[in-house]
Order: sequence, then C-alpha cells, then structure tokens
Amino acid sequence: MSSDAIDMTEPDGRRHPPGDLAIWVFILAELAAFALLFILYGVVRAKHVELFNEMQLTLDRNAGALNTVLLITASWCVARAVAAIRKGADGASARWMACGILAGVGFLVVKGFEYSDKFDAGIGLDTNLFYMFYIALTFFHFMHVVLGLLILGFLLLKTLRGGYSADDHLGMETGASYWHMVDLVWIVLFPLVYVMR
Amino acid sequence: MSASFSTSAARNIFFGGTVFFVLMFLALTYDTEQKLPQRDQRAQLANPAVAAGKRVWENNNCIGCHTLLGEGAYFAPELGNVYKRRGPDFIKAWIKSQPTGVPGRRQMPNFHLTDKELDDLVAFLKYASEINTANWPPNVEG
Amino acid sequence: MQYKSQMVAKPYFIGALVLFVAQILFGLIMGLQYVVGDFLFPHIPFNVARMVHTNALIVWLLMGFMGAAYYMVPEESECELYSPKLALIMFWIFLAAAGLTVVGYLAVPYATLAKITGNDLLPTMGREFLEQPTITKIGIVVVALAFLFNLSMTFLKGRKTSITTVMLLGLWGLAIMFLFSFVNPDNLVRDKFYWWWVVHLWVEGVWELILGAILAFVLIKITGVDREVIEKWLYVIITLSLITGLIGTGHHYFWIGTPEYWQWLGSVFSALEPVPFFAMTLFAFNMVNRRRREHPNRAATLWALGTGVMSFLGAGVWGFLHTLSPVNYYTHGTQITAAHGHMAFYGAYVMVVLTIISYAMPLMRGRAANSNASQVLEMWGFWLMTISMVFITLFLTGAGILQVWLQRVSTTPMGFMATQDQVALFYWLREGTGLVFMIGLAVYLFSFFKDGKSAA
Repeated sequence: MSSDAIDMTEPDGRRHPPGDLAIWVFILAELAAFALLFILYGVVRAKHVELFNEMQLTLDRNAGALNTVLLITASWCVARAVAAIRKGADGASARWMACGILAGVGFLVVKGFEYSDKFDAGIGLDTNLFYMFYIALTFFHFMHVVLGLLILGFLLLKTLRGGYSADDHLGMETGASYWHMVDLVWIVLFPLVYVMR
Repeated sequence: MSASFSTSAARNIFFGGTVFFVLMFLALTYDTEQKLPQRDQRAQLANPAVAAGKRVWENNNCIGCHTLLGEGAYFAPELGNVYKRRGPDFIKAWIKSQPTGVPGRRQMPNFHLTDKELDDLVAFLKYASEINTANWPPNVEG
Repeated sequence: MQYKSQMVAKPYFIGALVLFVAQILFGLIMGLQYVVGDFLFPHIPFNVARMVHTNALIVWLLMGFMGAAYYMVPEESECELYSPKLALIMFWIFLAAAGLTVVGYLAVPYATLAKITGNDLLPTMGREFLEQPTITKIGIVVVALAFLFNLSMTFLKGRKTSITTVMLLGLWGLAIMFLFSFVNPDNLVRDKFYWWWVVHLWVEGVWELILGAILAFVLIKITGVDREVIEKWLYVIITLSLITGLIGTGHHYFWIGTPEYWQWLGSVFSALEPVPFFAMTLFAFNMVNRRRREHPNRAATLWALGTGVMSFLGAGVWGFLHTLSPVNYYTHGTQITAAHGHMAFYGAYVMVVLTIISYAMPLMRGRAANSNASQVLEMWGFWLMTISMVFITLFLTGAGILQVWLQRVSTTPMGFMATQDQVALFYWLREGTGLVFMIGLAVYLFSFFKDGKSAA
C-alpha cells in the first residue's frame, strides 16, 4: 500500500496499519468490490476482445494519463501532510493537504470533461458491454474521489483549527489511508480500461 | 498489531459509508428510470384494460400461487409468459373451468370473473409477456 | 431487569410466539398441499394458507423486534420507557389488526376482502408479502409511528449508546421503507422495482441493523465483554451489510424488465453479501470465547451462536448459491428460492428474536435464568427446530435442482406441473421434516412451563 512510504520516513511511533483499524475493514470491503468488478471486466473482455479493443480507442487516453499523474500527486501531497503533522508542523501539513485537495479536484475536472464528451455522444450504461464497464467502474471510482475529497477537506479544516498534533493525528492517518485506497484503485483501473490491449 | 480501533471511527465510517452507498443506489435508480421506457412497454398502459387487468390480478391474489416474472409463490406455473405459452382463448377457458376437481391434484379456485374482467386480465398478461426481461425465462415452460 | 417499564416487552414476546405457532401450522398445511393438492380445498386454498404463513411470520418478527426494543432501550438508556401505557395499547391494537386481517383472509374470498376494505381507492393489495388490506397497512404505520415516538423519546432523555442508536436507525428505516408498500404503479416493472425497496431493503438492509443491535446487546449481557469492543464491531458489521446490501438489491433486478447492467452490479455486490454474515459469525464466537463470566442462561448463549451460524448458512451461503446472474437465470422463481428463503429467515430473524426472548423472558419472570431442566428442554427445541430447518432447506434445494434441470436446462423442457410430479418425493420429505420442526417448537414452548424457578 502506498501509505507504507510514509512509515519508511518516520520510523518512530508508527502504527501498522496506519489509521484506525475500522477504516481498514472498510477499505478491504471496497477493494473486494472493485476487485470483483476488475475480474469480471477481464473475463468479459476475454470473450469480446475485438469490441473492447475497438471501444478502448474511443477513450481519451491522454486525459486518463493526466488524471493518473494528478491522483499520484495528490497521494504524495497527502503523504507529505501526514509526515509533516508527525513532526508537529501543522502549518506545513495544512499546505500539503490543500495541494492534495487541489490535485484531487483537478482529477474531477478532467474526468468531468471526459464524461460530458461521452454523454454528449449519447453514451450510457447500456450502450454496449465495454461502456457498461467503463461507466460503472469509472463513475463508482469518481464518487469515491468525491468522498475522499470530502474527507481530505474535513482533515484540512481540522488541521487549520489545530486539531492534530505530533502526538495525536490518528484521524488524519485514517482519512489519508482511505485516500490512498482511492488512488490505488485508479492505478489499477487506468491501465486495465484505458491502456491494456 | 498495535493498531488503534475506536468506536467513534467505526461509527463515522458507518454513517459515511452508508450515505455514500445510498447516494450510489439513488443515482442508479435515476438511471434505471431513464432507461425503463425502452424496456417496460409503457405505451400499452394507454389501454385502460391493462391497468384494470392488473387490479383483477391483484384483487384475486394470483401471486399467492403463481409467479409473475419469477416472483410470487412456486405452487403454480409462471404467468409472465403464459400469453405466449397458451394464448388468450386458452387462458380464459382455463380460468372459467376451474376447479378441475381431480382428486389429489392441486386445485385453482373459481374466481367468478366476468367476461370484461377476463379480457382485462388477458390484456394485462399480454402486456407482461412483452416486457423486455433479458430473455428470461429460459424457455416457454417458464 | 433494571427498569419496571421493560415489562411491556412480555406481551409482545408472547404474542410473537403465538403467531409463530400459527405460521408453522399453516406452513404444514401448504407443505401438504404441495403433494395432496386438494387438501382442505376449497376451504383453505393454497394462496390463503400462504398469506397466513408469510404474513404471520412478518408480523411476529415485527412483534419480536418491538418487544426487543422495549426491553433494550430503557436498560440501555438507563431510564424508564417514555410511556409504558402507550406501548401496551399499541400491542393490543397491533394484535387486533393482525388477528382481524387473518380472519379476513380465512373468512372471505380475497377479492371480497379487497372490495370491503376499499382497495380500489388506494390499491396496494395482491402483491407478495404486502397482501394486507390497505387499511391494515395504514394501521401498521400508525402503530409503528407510536412505537417509534415512544422509543425515540426514551432514547432522547437517557444515555445514548451505540446499540440503541443502531437499533433505532434500523427501526426508523423499517418504518420508512414500509411506506413504499403504498407505491403501486400500474407499470409492472416500476411496481416490482419499488416493491423490492420494501422487501429487500428490509431483510437485507435495515433489519440487519436490528439483528446486529439485538445480538450485540445479548452478547454484552451474557459474555461480560467490554461494551466498547462489542459496539465497534457492531458498527463494522453493519457497515459491511449496507455497503454490500444496498447495491446488492440489484440481484432482484435481473429479469423484471430493468436495464441489464443490474446483472453485473447485482452479481458483484450481492456476491459480497455473505461477508457481513461471516463477520457476524466470527464476532459471536469470538465474544463468547472471550467471555468474562459464565452466565447461567446457557440457552440464550446457544441461540446467539446459532444465529451467527445459521444466518451465515441461510442468508450468506444459500443466498450466494443463486445470486450470480448466470446461475439465477435458471434458478429464479424455483424451489431454490424457497430453500434460501426458509433458512435465511429462520437463521437470521427467527433465531435472533428467539435469542432475545430466551435472554429476557426469565429476567421478566424474576430470575436470571431458567432451571437446568427447563434450559435442557429449550435446547432440545433449539436443536430439533434448527436441524429440521437444515433438512427442509436441503430437501427444497434438491427439489429445486431437479426442477431446474427438468424444466429449464433440459433440451426437451417439461411443463411446470409435470415437473412438480417428478419432485414430489422431496416435498414429502420436506413435509415430514416440517412435522419434526413443529415438535421442536412444541418442546420449545413447553420449556416455558417447566418448573423454571427451582434452580435460579
């Protein structure tokens, strides 16, 4: 998990897994749902390789790549924010968190353009099997980004109010773990749906 | 494992997760409502006999023995496709001739339906048989 | 028992058990009609017996939930119930409404009942599980509102625990989702779509909150494990239930005219629905293993563990068996569904209500637990009923597999009735096991009258 990187930089007082255990149950459940959808995607694709290859070309791969960069950046910023709060630097933590949120919002904007293109072309869940998966997977993920951003926004507000410190930042680790899950899912989703031939 | 695990975190995740999935479900419901006109044969509802037939269906608790599109009791045949399996005349004649009174066999009551009620019911069953059910049932036997 | 007003739970539990007996009796009638088709015809046609069987089940489970809530909420809130009198009045109204409805089902043809209760003004009747006359449905809403008002006021004035929060959320959800029983569009697809909002979002949604809360309450009491530990696991389990169960509704949207993407979404999310049930099993066993005291009520412990195991088998395993759309294409609306329905309802909801009854009844009768002799009888009832239910489920599954094979998979498909004749042996076996279940129920009920006091 990408959050391990944080632990490498902060050997003292780290937790395994970081954040509250309850979020990990939730993360595992969510990953299980995505994993099943990915597996189904693979199985169905194997049966309809031509359709999937043809339809894949209609996707905007550059937008997808840009979004991958944005999400990884966001995850990195969030990781820096957690690292900062561990040193008690709440000002720096808030700045990193804000950058993370900005990158996440950037993802939504790019994805929004992609969607409006597709919806204008009359594409929906029942256009064909490929687009059923494309929309179900990316929209489900899109909503996770929205939820993740709400959580990050809450973390930022609490940091600004001085709610986290070097001794007490469990809440931030919990929220950050969720965000990294959202990032991780995209890192699997992007190559699977946009790139793999 | 030195993990911390608090009731308040678990509670927040419960509320957050639930709201999230409720919203996802509502979004899917919205999309379904948009797509339904292509599948649910709603144009047929312009014929008042269909709705009247649904009342006959409901007021005699047909679902208490039969299934309709696979839902109901499993005591008597599927009727979602009975219009295709038997046709209108057979359906009416069958309903009128009940019960068969054959000893030991399952019995269907006589509901004393009027001719209009029978026509309405058949209109409803015809409508039901034309709904796009993704090719279910697997064969005409239901 | 710490608060006098908890006693109002008692009539609810007794009422529930009386209706339980009625449910099983009518179940036996239906089971026999499966093989001796004209049994009791035309006095009790199958559809009438089935209405009584399913509606009695729903009403007695609701009564059990209400009794559980009336017992738990004062104790958790650490204050007396807002109005014990209102609770008792509502019990009698509920019982009378249920009784009158059953009399209506049995005394006149259903169409007559629809006519005299004015179903054409607001047609809601004649849909599976929602057969009650519209006026009964309105009565249920009134009783539920009074009940929720009573409990919410108690909740607000006292201590707020996770258990009561979850319990009340579940009960409010139950009442709110029931409002969809008044939604009955002429469009059959939309009718079915929203019908499931009552049925599925009850049993695979808000009822699971109630189930979790009752189980958590009993586990705290009988194991002495820290409330903190039990409550956080409660939240985790119900989170899992709802994130899988909400979109899991899609497994009912495969073949009723809804868009075909539900086949994918419904399969994926409902494939995960066993997870929360498995978590619940682990949870129950873990807590009992970590117990800090030996509670004298061993029967209640047995019921609590049984709920964990049987709900996982019935709802989890038997649900998963036919929830994937390619499988469900063949099994939809066959005896497989009936098999799953029987074990899931028994394993999850019947058993959890019997758990709280087993725990609370002795306390309401002035003892921590019943005498050993009485508990032994109760446990005999547990095993007889539970094992019969396992076999009922297995026989129905056998019937279902054969039915699917002959009627749906075969290249020369058999008609429905011809197929039914072929599977008659399974129905006979099911009916025999049903009789054993009835004996188990009788033993269970007899345990209430067995010199309970002697050893407490």
